[in-house]
Amino acid sequence: MEPLARRTLLRSGLLAAATAVAGPALLTGCGSGGDSSAPTGAGPRRGGTLRAAFTGAGAGETLNHFVGGTALDMVRARALHATLGDLDPSAPDGVRYGVLETIEVDEELSAYTLRLRRGLTFSDGSPLTARDVLWSLSSPADDPASLPVYRNPASTFDFGGARVEDDHTLVLPTRAPLADGRMVLCQGNYLVLKENSDFSPGTATSGPFRLEEFAPGEGCLLTRNEAFSHPEADEAPYLDGLELRSLPDSDARAAALTGGQVDLAHDLSPVTARTLRGDERFTVTSTDPPYVSGLFFRMNLAHEPFRDPRVRTAFKLAADREAMVESVFFGDATVGNDLLGPGFPDYADEIEQRPFDPDRARRLLREAGAEGMRVTLTTGPETPGMVEVATLYVENLVAVGVEATLEELPAGQLFADYPAYARLPLAASFSVPTPALPLYQMSYGARNPAALGWDRPDVDELVATARGTSGEESARAGLAAQRTLWEEGNTIAPVFKPFTTAHVPGVAGVADDLFEQFPGFSRATLS
Amino acid sequence: MSWSLFLLRRLAALVPTLAALSVLVFGATELLPGDAVGAVAGPDATEAERAAVRERLGLDDDPVTRYLRWAGGAVRGDLGTAYTGGRAVHELIASRLPHSLLLAGLALAVTVPLSIALGLWAGSRAGRRADRAVSTGVLLVAGLPEFVTATALWWLLAGELGLLPRVSLVPLGGSPLDTPEILVLPALTLAATGVAVGTRLVRSASAEAVASPWIEAARLRGVGGARLAVRHVLPGALAPATQAFGLITGALVGGAIVVETVYGYPGIGLELQQAVAHRDIPLVQGIALVLCAATLATVLLADLAARALDPRRGSLR
Repeated sequence: MEPLARRTLLRSGLLAAATAVAGPALLTGCGSGGDSSAPTGAGPRRGGTLRAAFTGAGAGETLNHFVGGTALDMVRARALHATLGDLDPSAPDGVRYGVLETIEVDEELSAYTLRLRRGLTFSDGSPLTARDVLWSLSSPADDPASLPVYRNPASTFDFGGARVEDDHTLVLPTRAPLADGRMVLCQGNYLVLKENSDFSPGTATSGPFRLEEFAPGEGCLLTRNEAFSHPEADEAPYLDGLELRSLPDSDARAAALTGGQVDLAHDLSPVTARTLRGDERFTVTSTDPPYVSGLFFRMNLAHEPFRDPRVRTAFKLAADREAMVESVFFGDATVGNDLLGPGFPDYADEIEQRPFDPDRARRLLREAGAEGMRVTLTTGPETPGMVEVATLYVENLVAVGVEATLEELPAGQLFADYPAYARLPLAASFSVPTPALPLYQMSYGARNPAALGWDRPDVDELVATARGTSGEESARAGLAAQRTLWEEGNTIAPVFKPFTTAHVPGVAGVADDLFEQFPGFSRATLS
Repeated sequence: MSWSLFLLRRLAALVPTLAALSVLVFGATELLPGDAVGAVAGPDATEAERAAVRERLGLDDDPVTRYLRWAGGAVRGDLGTAYTGGRAVHELIASRLPHSLLLAGLALAVTVPLSIALGLWAGSRAGRRADRAVSTGVLLVAGLPEFVTATALWWLLAGELGLLPRVSLVPLGGSPLDTPEILVLPALTLAATGVAVGTRLVRSASAEAVASPWIEAARLRGVGGARLAVRHVLPGALAPATQAFGLITGALVGGAIVVETVYGYPGIGLELQQAVAHRDIPLVQGIALVLCAATLATVLLADLAARALDPRRGSLR
């Protein structure tokens, strides 16, 4: 009952009380290694320019993060533009607000009122208003080049019917009753730009830093934005400057760190991270759920054997998840339970962990007449560990009597031909940290091509109910939907891997920015 | 054959060669899995969104029409618009190519004198122990994959000795020449392969020259040692070696993908690697075409230099 009560409380805005009941697991997302949280005692140290390396794009890189999907795009955007808010299970509303003071929801769950903090300005001194917030949320939907993540709010909120009541109040009607709208708006990636921003280097910014120098494909130099007002730390940002570097290769990022050319290297491969953990000159931190990426495989229901639920269950039971965590990630990863979004408040962590049971898998395959079935698992090095986990999984399948083979595509090709990808019998993929139920609606429900044949209007309805109601009803529907997915779904999600960052010991306060998969520096210090 | 006729013939040969290469480049990108729609519209796009992107990019046309449109643009200097960022492809190439040319120039500055010295020395001693040592050594280096050479140099010069930066970070808003030390490791890595190949070619030409009657005559006149090598062997070996260096130069400009990725150096090779990873097809096509043109241009220059050194080359036969 505890987790159910927790989710109920979350939605009624009483999570602080719930965390004490539900235990520490819920709070793991709040920090990732004490070394990178803010120093205590004498107060944060001011000054210094922190240098950090991320995966970036090439010479075509722009300052428009709506169209740029690299880690550097996101980190730079969060340094330049203030966030609406971040997910924070320990906060009263389940989110920690940025430029917002509160988000109020009406009784029918059909309108969200966003109230802005007073006195906020852009770096050019102009006031930050509700019109800027509305433009920042709605404009990506009008640009076909925008990334799906930025177009998603338009499928949840009716921006055409939005009302700017005054400079500090924005009312957003929903397209359908919605209980988790705060979680949708405050995921850390919705940022406030000045209305009609052209993303040129001279554009006024609302975030902790402003742009000093931008070299597309190489990096950027940012300086402290004196006009920035941090909601919790009056003196922040503490750094004088921030130098963000683009290094697409994980080994090059690690080399820049060990060679003293940067102070922080983001998203390291498991092997590199393990090497650096043994070097006392550096601190290695890994994110905890919910800031983790799921490595999963999806069975295509258009292929005959996978239409039998016994075969799907057998494929799930065949996965030796602990071995994957140990041998690919040297223990620095989380075992998955075939559901996405662990760590988020709407994730059904009350569902029992699926065991590794090759004997039962073999028996189920025999019963289904699928013993010795042939299947090819297609994967690619789209994120560190993806190919290695797929390799182990193929071995697991062979061990239960499946004639499984692995096809590894070159980097960048797995999703390049999406119609072809959607026809694969068994396809690898990965998820980014997103709450479980919105993620279902975005990429799995309503016959989405990414679902590879999953078509269950009853589950779609349960998810819609969970998101469109509050309290017990919402929690029950969310749990029922995920229970069905767990039992009958076509996803095998054996491992959730962290985003691993290494830095010199003098770096602190990065984890305090939340949204840990893409480090923020509004409260970072350097000594 | 006069110089003007020689030049005209070479230039006339360049046009169909470049045209054929452009067909190959276009055809190769057509064969990449998927089409541009997936890259532009994203994996979650609806069929309607995909159709809109397809129409906007003109992908409903047949491949021949699309090739002619692309090639026609290329002739006018318009290589299209990159998917990432929406900037003109020629602008992106112009921002990266000078970095790679600088690296190739430095690598060549090491490659040419070292290859000539080693090749001449080994060729003058063809079949002897010194020749076998040099030939085996360069064969080993030539056989090493570039990332192995890069890793070895990186380990020694940046790791163990700490003499050089591990990653080639260009100062923001500056040029690689502002911090020349970042160029050393990538240039040395490129030069290692260049020296290995160049030495073998110079050695071969030198050995051939050493066996010629005029060298024998010089020896009978009492000429020997360095004087024989520089005054008599080298002129005979220089013309074929120059053409070899032309090919090496083309390879240095276009073949720096591994080296630039390992060291994070923002050149055309790293740009090409990222364009392929992001399936930025106009950028891949543009870079590949420019690299083909650059290689042809260096080969032409080498031909001209070789003819200047040995006027018999390029004569009508």
